[in-house]
Amino acid sequence: MSSLNEPLTQFERNARMVLEESVSRIDARTRSRLNQARQRALEAATARRPRWWSSFALMPAASAAAAALLVTLVLWHRQPAGEPPVLEGQRSAVEDIDLLADGEALDLLEGWDGSFYEWAAAQTDANGESDG
Amino acid sequence: MPAALLGDVDVDPSAQTRSRALNQFLAGVELKAFKIAQAALRHEDDALDAVQDAMLQLARAYADRPAEEWKPLFYRILENRIRDMQRRRTVRGRVIAWLPFRGEDEDEEADPIAQAPSAEPQPLKRLEIDEAMGALEKALGELPRRQQQAFLLRSLEGLDVAETAAAMGCSEGSVKTHYFRAVQALRAQLGDLV
Repeated sequence: MSSLNEPLTQFERNARMVLEESVSRIDARTRSRLNQARQRALEAATARRPRWWSSFALMPAASAAAAALLVTLVLWHRQPAGEPPVLEGQRSAVEDIDLLADGEALDLLEGWDGSFYEWAAAQTDANGESDG
Repeated sequence: MPAALLGDVDVDPSAQTRSRALNQFLAGVELKAFKIAQAALRHEDDALDAVQDAMLQLARAYADRPAEEWKPLFYRILENRIRDMQRRRTVRGRVIAWLPFRGEDEDEEADPIAQAPSAEPQPLKRLEIDEAMGALEKALGELPRRQQQAFLLRSLEGLDVAETAAAMGCSEGSVKTHYFRAVQALRAQLGDLV
């Protein structure tokens, strides 16, 4: 007798031939039912796949939505109630824009007297030295 | 054609390739699996149910595993299913034995298509094969389950030692022992008939 991975004996070859013949004689009805069973199994396999597959397919959209939500939440919590947020570096620029937009301020600039301000500054320095 | 191959639900090309590979695999094993189940269960419908359940379970749980693993896995599942059905049948037999009336399926009409053979060898040759086939199937039916399984997985399905051991859920040494005893018993019973 041969062991499993050795060449088959004559008896084993004959037995295999008879078994294969019996398989080839399986009737059409049984073959049809086996075919139907196979199709059902394939449908079950592919019906199962979309559950995890679709989650991977939707992952980029879900990630983008989560990131957008996170950014929104962070900005919401950092913003104080009342006035809109103004960064420190932007404050002076905002004041300059206010001055330029103010019509009276422009009128003052037109009547700019530089010599008066120089005299006033000199007076202030002189007072400081006499006090010291 | 399976719905998933239509591309409506699953348009992934690798999934379609996998589905085709699974289809090819199942088509290649279904007839032999049916014969193995029939030898164990001695009942056509039960054998069909067992094969169908094994196909479904393989497809649902192991379709994503490498294709080389499918065959031992499939036969392992089939063997478990056969064992479950045999246990259930034993319990049912005990219950039915207590009933005054036992319903049989004798009134079921024979389907002429079902009786149609797939191949048509010469009459004399066919008689010899019929005789050998009947004798072999009878002798196989009388073998202990593990011997029968080892013999059929080797002789009909052509699994090697490792695959047979994986399918049977035992060691390779046990497979060799079961197979050796099966061949000895069959040769003693069938002699030159096969």
